[in-house]
Amino acid sequence: MKKALIVLVFALAFASMVSAQTINVLFWDDAYPRTLMERIPEFEKATGIKVNIEILQPPQVFTKTSVSVSKDRTDYDLVCVDEGNIPLFASLMLPYDQWAPGKVFKKVDPNTVTPAMLDVAQWDGKLIGLPINGNLYVWMTRKDLIENPKYKADFKAKYGYDLGVPQTFQQMLDEGTYFYENGIVSGGFGPFNGGPAGVFGEAIFMWESYGTHFIEWVKGKPTLVVDKAKAVQGMEFYKKLMKISPKGAETMAHVERQAAFAADPKGVFTQFIWPAQIASYEDPDKSLVAGKIVYSAPPAGPAGRFAIRGTWAVNIPLASKNKDAAAEFVYWWASKDIATWLVEKNTVPARTDALTDPRFAKTKPWLAAIADSMKYAAARPRFNEVAQVQDIVKKYWIMGITGQMPCDDAMQKIIDETKDVLKKAGY
Amino acid sequence: MFSRKPATELPRAQGQAGKARGRAPFLFLAPAIIVVFAVLIFPIIFSLFVSTYNWPLSQGAGVRHFVGLGNYAALTQDPEFWNSLKLQLGFIFIAIPIELLFGFAAALLLNREFFGARVVRSLLLLPVFFLPILSGMTWRFMLQPRYGPLNALLLKLGAPEITWLGNPATAYAAIIVQDIWRMWPFMFMLLYAALTSIPQELMEAAEIDGAGFWLKLRSLTIPLLTPTILTAVLLRIIDALRVFSEVYVMTEGGPGSATMLFSLYTQRQAFGYQKVGMASAMAIFLLVISIVFALTLVRKNMSLDVLEEKAGA
Repeated sequence: MKKALIVLVFALAFASMVSAQTINVLFWDDAYPRTLMERIPEFEKATGIKVNIEILQPPQVFTKTSVSVSKDRTDYDLVCVDEGNIPLFASLMLPYDQWAPGKVFKKVDPNTVTPAMLDVAQWDGKLIGLPINGNLYVWMTRKDLIENPKYKADFKAKYGYDLGVPQTFQQMLDEGTYFYENGIVSGGFGPFNGGPAGVFGEAIFMWESYGTHFIEWVKGKPTLVVDKAKAVQGMEFYKKLMKISPKGAETMAHVERQAAFAADPKGVFTQFIWPAQIASYEDPDKSLVAGKIVYSAPPAGPAGRFAIRGTWAVNIPLASKNKDAAAEFVYWWASKDIATWLVEKNTVPARTDALTDPRFAKTKPWLAAIADSMKYAAARPRFNEVAQVQDIVKKYWIMGITGQMPCDDAMQKIIDETKDVLKKAGY
Repeated sequence: MFSRKPATELPRAQGQAGKARGRAPFLFLAPAIIVVFAVLIFPIIFSLFVSTYNWPLSQGAGVRHFVGLGNYAALTQDPEFWNSLKLQLGFIFIAIPIELLFGFAAALLLNREFFGARVVRSLLLLPVFFLPILSGMTWRFMLQPRYGPLNALLLKLGAPEITWLGNPATAYAAIIVQDIWRMWPFMFMLLYAALTSIPQELMEAAEIDGAGFWLKLRSLTIPLLTPTILTAVLLRIIDALRVFSEVYVMTEGGPGSATMLFSLYTQRQAFGYQKVGMASAMAIFLLVISIVFALTLVRKNMSLDVLEEKAGA
């Protein structure tokens, strides 16, 4: 009897160890992972793997990854890494070609990821994890305003061309100014002046649109290659856009932009959006402009169109003890079935077949715009010291576009201080 | 009945008992000493150790490099470091005197009984119980240019809207005002408690001698409250040196670096730039500043001699 009890206790303990494999996952907080969380119980049922989710705002994801993942130990079996931070964490993650094949779900072919996004998880010639969402600049313009017959006639009389979705920067400025100066909108343009990474994105967008890169890898080193004259032109143009922006534009982050565009009765005429946020703008319970937005690729500057990319990759730390289970979770998440369901829920995965599914062509008008924007995808520079450079750019960019400092001086400060950071880093 | 030990064994037994008694206090104190060492001394020693390394946070301990005092030297060359120190000290020297003034005035006014006095005194304490992060969020929304109540009021009065957190000067003023709003009741709480403990006979004697309100205030109330005032100021200085979350949610240190206080810049160094060594050097610097403040206030003003002198005067 006693022996039988001992055997039973050991058997139960062994069974619980085998059946309750648990993975700890660190998610960034936006509509996309939150939507996915609805379906996780299905994954747990299918595989017997329990998924512990921790969901944090993007800056905190970065901090938490920094302190919780190293070569020898990790608190997470799967972490989401914003594309700008891939260089910093690449050496701590298992390359995708070493991920085990799935037991329940098939290993995802990286070629199912849209080419513009696949580059996100590449570092030193290796694929470090799998890009998981399709996030890049898409332009939003108020359809109800550009289709209004009175505004169309007035605008044509004043500017000599038809009102429409802005195709160029000048058109965006003209149309925004028309709506703003006539009191039709609270803002002709919705800038982003929130966190350093976002402001850096705006600066890179303007500089690329005016024909200059900022930092490039030259002979294995991040090198400042900016053409100051072109960069100043980009900053000066943004300064003009700030003059037709809503009150408080100097500190507008995503929350304020959404409030101005979608909750203000007058609203904003045009601005960029990360596709991950489209669900909120198209939710009639949260938005006054749901169904009234035209989506397009960003307007073209003098050097052409550019859509800044801001995609997340999922990565398995080398120190994880549950690599296979973590991989299984990613294969489920990146499967066609789940990706298609995520599109249905107004979020944007990275799989080409889900994004181009003809069933969504009419009901999800932003998908065509995302596909169009992907032709013009541009990345922010990636290197270990990027956070320092982002802070420098944010500081002087905002001083320049708000008139606290001449744009020329602000750009010189950006150049001088960025050079100093790169020099101190030993490049 | 009683067993007697031979006379030769007594000194040895007494010696052993004495030794045991000598060790006993240390044994009783040991748990407290161990806890203090673990939670107070060890982190300081570890920070000091880390501050001598170039230690990229995400790469773990394996890639750290000893740089000696290099991080301290680099800090002295960093204009952002000096800017953050200047802003932090400005924050302390502007906010705390105003909090003290408000707290003292309210304590004097409410140091009497009237209908509803207890309710008023309790309500005044409410801001202290606000979580700093919620206080920061509340002020951020109150100061929002388009939807904030402050600008709505300005518009009703015919004044122009102000982008409070978008302008360097008003953003810095805003974080100070937020701190004053939240923490002046702390001063009130301590000073009111001290005021109620002043013997009434002293005041009555002064009144009989013809002392008016101002004379009583200058000659009795303030000298008797000095230890409490100094304690309150010291506690607030230590607290204000660590202020972080409310400023982080209000401005994130911006616009530009206009509100990048020392604590925010330390956080940027550690978690933004991944420079743990540099952040530790800043933490040690902050510790030294705290000690200087504490020594100045405690040693010079709170010693018994000085207090006796003041009481005698």
